[in-house]
Amino acid sequence: MVKYIIRRFLEMILTLFLIATATFFLLEAVPGDPLTQRADKLQPQSRERLYERYGLDKPVLERYLLTMEGLARGDFGESFVYAGQTVGGLIQSRLPVSARLGLQQMILGVGVGLLLGILAAMKRGTLIDYLVVGLSVLLISIPHLIFGLMLQKIFAGTLRILPTIGWPSGDELWFGGWKYTILPTLTGCFSYIAIYARLLKTSMLDVVNQDYVLTAESKGLSRGAVIRRHILRNSFIPVMTQLPMSVAMCITGSFFIESIFSIPGIGQYYVTAVNNQDLSIVMGETVLLSLLYIVVLFITDILYAVVDPRISMPGAGK
Amino acid sequence: MEAGSKNTGSAGGAEKKLLSVQNLRVSYHTYAGEVQSVRGVSFDLEEGSALAIVGESGCGKSVTARSIMGLIKPPAGEIKPGSRIFYRGEDIVQYDRKKLEQYRGGECAIVFQDALAALNPTMRVGKQIMENLIAHRHMGKQEALREAVEMLRRVGIPEPEKRVRQYPHQFSGGMRQRVMIAIAFACDPKLLICDEPTTALDVTIQGQILDIIKDLQKKHRTSVILITHDLGVVANIAREIAVMYAGMIVERGSSEDIFYRPRHPYTWALIRSVPRLDDENKAELESIPGTPPDLIDPPKGCPFCTRCRYCMDICREEMPENADFGAGHTASCWLHHPLAPKVEMPDYEKEDRQ
Repeated sequence: MVKYIIRRFLEMILTLFLIATATFFLLEAVPGDPLTQRADKLQPQSRERLYERYGLDKPVLERYLLTMEGLARGDFGESFVYAGQTVGGLIQSRLPVSARLGLQQMILGVGVGLLLGILAAMKRGTLIDYLVVGLSVLLISIPHLIFGLMLQKIFAGTLRILPTIGWPSGDELWFGGWKYTILPTLTGCFSYIAIYARLLKTSMLDVVNQDYVLTAESKGLSRGAVIRRHILRNSFIPVMTQLPMSVAMCITGSFFIESIFSIPGIGQYYVTAVNNQDLSIVMGETVLLSLLYIVVLFITDILYAVVDPRISMPGAGK
Repeated sequence: MEAGSKNTGSAGGAEKKLLSVQNLRVSYHTYAGEVQSVRGVSFDLEEGSALAIVGESGCGKSVTARSIMGLIKPPAGEIKPGSRIFYRGEDIVQYDRKKLEQYRGGECAIVFQDALAALNPTMRVGKQIMENLIAHRHMGKQEALREAVEMLRRVGIPEPEKRVRQYPHQFSGGMRQRVMIAIAFACDPKLLICDEPTTALDVTIQGQILDIIKDLQKKHRTSVILITHDLGVVANIAREIAVMYAGMIVERGSSEDIFYRPRHPYTWALIRSVPRLDDENKAELESIPGTPPDLIDPPKGCPFCTRCRYCMDICREEMPENADFGAGHTASCWLHHPLAPKVEMPDYEKEDRQ
């Protein structure tokens, strides 16, 4: 087990290194540099000083080595575009916003999705089943952008009961300011509902036809006990392994939703940074988000073994 | 036996009879049409006795077993009106959900063919036995656990205290089937249905599993219905045999009658297709040519007529009556009609003596 974790850890470092390298050179390959706009109007002398300050006067390879060295120390450097902003500070101020939005979407979406999935599976072939399936297909086919605008139009435009844009901050960063969060949460939760309703339904229908469900029924267990102990537990295996991915996705934010509702989250900033060629910010965010995904994948692997006793961890012994 | 005999005393005299299946008809609704899996099966089972239902795949024997367990699920499966399954005088077809739950597992238990598929892969073996005990014998957790260990010991699983905490995939095939038997016997059922209990096991284990079933049957005075396609398995346990073909019982009798004096051409063919080690002249193993009829559109005459070497014109037109040979031995074949041409009936007892 320890050996396995060490191996995974080394793989993780290697993956991060490759991702950082690729990001660096891809950004380098783009014409222009982050300072072009700022330096345009400056005197040649000041321009030189500016480039020197950010280290952009050095050759590519040297800058690459410097960047990597910084990464190894956990120092991502300073924003090229907004003077004084560091990646660390940025993450600190923006990640909670994205995380709250994402978690709200996920809790609501996964909860409702799972309930609908159970309902559809239990009422298979009835109107309820067709409604759930049809709705899932519809929800998953409509982009967030359309949903967001539609909800804004109805609730903020016509009915005027909810604010169009904005997000709670300060003391209300995590709790409070709920009315601002309702529309963005709704917009984002639909895709979770669609994914999880279908995932659980398919999985449950698969399990319902298994022989061990027949065995459970032949024991004379009540319908509820059969569903809870035998059907649901086994149907949840695919769900459990999908969940960590959803958590990672929800934390990293949904760019479109943040844009539509002017939410100062990490997703929105990420895209702005790419447009500005804000090298250090892009680099920092990419590495941190990759790290998040890698950790989440690791947790997924462990979860497999937890939910399904047939899967044992490599090197965990018999 | 027709559907007319409603709610009358047909269950009377049920003191000795544990189970009485009367005109059981079961259909499955599929995209291709209504498959008439069981087409009028009737038989009685006395307390403490063992009956084997023999037939090839798709003849309706498993569906019969599931009907007796109350496991036919609508909307796909349907027990046709007029079908009756009396358990101790009560018609379980009419049972509501609550009564069915008490009956299943408590009064009647089933052992399935493939124990790997029939055991929940994510639940510890002990818990799968305990569930039964807690539901029917109202035991507490500790007591149920002790009983589960005891059950595992009784079916011959070594180190039951350790095994009770393991998952099904950690057991070998034979051990898993023992667990299934432990689950089935946990609540001391009066009726045990074994649906091909040894088919998925290798031959060396088959005997052991059958011995366990036989042993427990004797100790608990359980009635057993053994469903199998393997006549070799039957001889070991059942005193009575019913031969099923295309959803019907075509011959029924004591195991001596069936093995030594079979009266239906299908039974003859079945017996000849069992491999025998003592066959001196190394005769070629016979098979039955052709396939069973399509049960979406079953033949109006004898279902075996297309594969029967004695087939007559009448066989294609009309279903034969049951001919009675005494002592409960019956067969439905036109050959036993007084006007039928005489065919030499096999007598394997005599052959054996020679």
